[in-house]
Amino acid sequence: MQFKRNSPSKLVLLIMLFLGITCILAAYGDRQAIEKKAYVVAMGIDPAKEKNAVEITYLIANPEYGSQQQGGSTDEPPVEIISFEANDLSTARNLANTVVAKEISYDLLRAILVSEDLAKDSRFVRWMYDGVKDPNIRRDIRFIVTNEPVVDFFEKNKPRLEVRPHKYYELLLKRGEETATIPKGYLNQYYRITEAGGDLFLGIYSSTERKNKPPKPGQPENNIIAGDFSYTGKTNSVIFAGSAVFKNGVMIDKLTAEETRLATSINNTMKAADILTTMPDPLNKRYNVSLRIRSNKNTHVKMDLHKAIPEIHITVPMLIDVLSTHSMINYATSTSNQKKLKEGLEKYLEKKYDNLVKKTQKQYKAEPFGWSLEARKKFLTIPAYEAYNWPKKYPDMKVHVNVEITFGGFGRQSRIPKVKEMR
Amino acid sequence: MTQPEQKIGIKEYIAIFTMMIGTKIADDTPTFFYNTLYNAAWMAPIINFLAVMIPIYLYIKVMSYYKGQNLADIVILLMGKFFGYAVLLLLWIILSVAIILDTSIYTDIIATTYFPTTAYFFILAILLGVCAYLAKKGLEQIGSVAWSLFLYTEVALFIALGLCIGQGKFTFLFPLFGPGEWDVIKGSVTKGSVYADFIYVLLIAPAVKSFGDFKKGTWISMIIIVVSATMALASYVLLFDYPSVQMMKYPFHESIRFVELVFLRNIETLIFPFWLTAVFVRFSVYLYFSAMLFGKLFRIKDFEYIIPSIATLTIFLGMMLPSPIDSLEHPREFILFVSTPFLFFMPIILFILAKWKGAKNNAVQKEQSK
Repeated sequence: MQFKRNSPSKLVLLIMLFLGITCILAAYGDRQAIEKKAYVVAMGIDPAKEKNAVEITYLIANPEYGSQQQGGSTDEPPVEIISFEANDLSTARNLANTVVAKEISYDLLRAILVSEDLAKDSRFVRWMYDGVKDPNIRRDIRFIVTNEPVVDFFEKNKPRLEVRPHKYYELLLKRGEETATIPKGYLNQYYRITEAGGDLFLGIYSSTERKNKPPKPGQPENNIIAGDFSYTGKTNSVIFAGSAVFKNGVMIDKLTAEETRLATSINNTMKAADILTTMPDPLNKRYNVSLRIRSNKNTHVKMDLHKAIPEIHITVPMLIDVLSTHSMINYATSTSNQKKLKEGLEKYLEKKYDNLVKKTQKQYKAEPFGWSLEARKKFLTIPAYEAYNWPKKYPDMKVHVNVEITFGGFGRQSRIPKVKEMR
Repeated sequence: MTQPEQKIGIKEYIAIFTMMIGTKIADDTPTFFYNTLYNAAWMAPIINFLAVMIPIYLYIKVMSYYKGQNLADIVILLMGKFFGYAVLLLLWIILSVAIILDTSIYTDIIATTYFPTTAYFFILAILLGVCAYLAKKGLEQIGSVAWSLFLYTEVALFIALGLCIGQGKFTFLFPLFGPGEWDVIKGSVTKGSVYADFIYVLLIAPAVKSFGDFKKGTWISMIIIVVSATMALASYVLLFDYPSVQMMKYPFHESIRFVELVFLRNIETLIFPFWLTAVFVRFSVYLYFSAMLFGKLFRIKDFEYIIPSIATLTIFLGMMLPSPIDSLEHPREFILFVSTPFLFFMPIILFILAKWKGAKNNAVQKEQSK
């Protein structure tokens, strides 16, 4: 039985309309207005004087700044920095409101910066896990370790070409990741590796302190860590280079930019796109060759885990463009020279890899290369894998790294004059 | 006044069925699988499906003996007044408890991940208000709403899952068999009751235009559900690896917050509305079934009119739950545990009874007496 389908009276319709609007308004509890919010773009965490607290620093972006191409948008500065002590990352928002007029929002949070002192503290993990509780802290934000307190870092960080802070961090980190001088360093990776246990996580390393010591002669320029890079000119004083090594969620050491490049280039979970670098010329040790390395293929990992001393064979395919050869040796048309160059570079790189692997085995007793994931493929079940105890076995493994170079090109103009003929 | 027969086509049936069970991959059910199956959880839907194929086949077989009658009629017919009534009452209680728990869980998802400062009561009330309104309109309306939204929600879901798979790492799926081959099979089969909602779908079996459509629709929707569930369970692991995913409460929402669509970062705002509409359909169907069973139990013919009351009751009972997050895990397991025999053993009993009572003759007689 159904009621007759009378057309409902106007009154009923009106009541329903009002009820509907009330419902919508009620769910409006989370309404947000851009100009009523203060968007934290980067958040710093420093050790505080009090034991169970941390010093939180907010880099608050001005959403109005630079929103219009030509002037007149706002006179307010692009960023505001505020620093204070708080118990955790979530309640800090309210504390900040005692100073900042607008509601603090983590919606546009792009980076979490931690000073090295705190990152090396064993209690550090406790604050990092605030990040999974707060609904507004997302897992795709970057994780950066700074050499000095983050407060100083923010104050000294005055980017000139890109003043809007959210763009600055996004572009700088993206480019750094592409050139592989810094690792990817997503917060998600930090959680994943910490929770899986045993492996090393590489966080982005950064500094504003400049030692300005000139690079040692004969040393390729990549062997730097943030703070070592010597440069002059009117530019920003912040350098992002190298990586902070985390084991079980706590920082234990740092890698140079070159080591970071090596580590990311054999890790299949992070691949660099555009590496420009120099290496000593195998045919004339006095000069360097400049190269562009494109690792477009996955690293091949072969494991022999059930031997008495387990073995890992790594094959790293590299596509190399030779950009310049200061020794003026003709590589482009001479296959025998190319062969020598290939062998020389392979040997050079293999030695570098070996050194890095040895360092991780001896010093860290864990690896940042994602090999434990490859090892998991060798087991059918998790209990079997856990019984194998990879983290314990890794330091004693035999690791062979084999670099396979294929040449892409030798520059726009491949022929160059012989130096001896020139006068 | 004769009641116009409410009939739905195969499209609407598939849409209702898929949205009812398929939305489970986007709540806390995956965590359930990960807890015991680790990274092999993606195999569970397939193994599950093989396990529930027999009961589903038997149910359909029994239904085919009594065309034009729904599950409630058949249960009373075959099990007798007393036992039949008891079974239906139990089914209704399970469904009601499931509605209360599920609406609270979904409210929690909405509250924690999207509207952290909105009052819990408002979200729950609006959710059930919308669903009650839709359910009250009757099965035909639910069906057409479900079908009109079906393609959009499926496309949104597969975009989300595709992005997760694209940005994930396949090495996380290894070791392939997770906790061990037998544990995977055992764990999957014992969790077969996630498909227990199928029992309630049988209530609307006669409302599908033809019995062939019902049969075909059932299998098609089961396949859609199995495929999407397998993809979903795999993709969360691909993104986060199993130790992390085990700790997450709602992996689907965690992953759509993580993935990027080319240059768009916060794509959860794109996916959320589609998910929400699927949720509306899901609870509308639940409310409709609940009212239908209630009507059958207490001989109320126009059962649609009690839907608002059931919804109101659900809101208040839902508000009475002590804390929506932590206290809910055990009752939920309990519900799944209790509904297991209904999925696995009831079809066998019904089938035997149907055979014993000379099902076919019975059906013929029925036909003639009409």
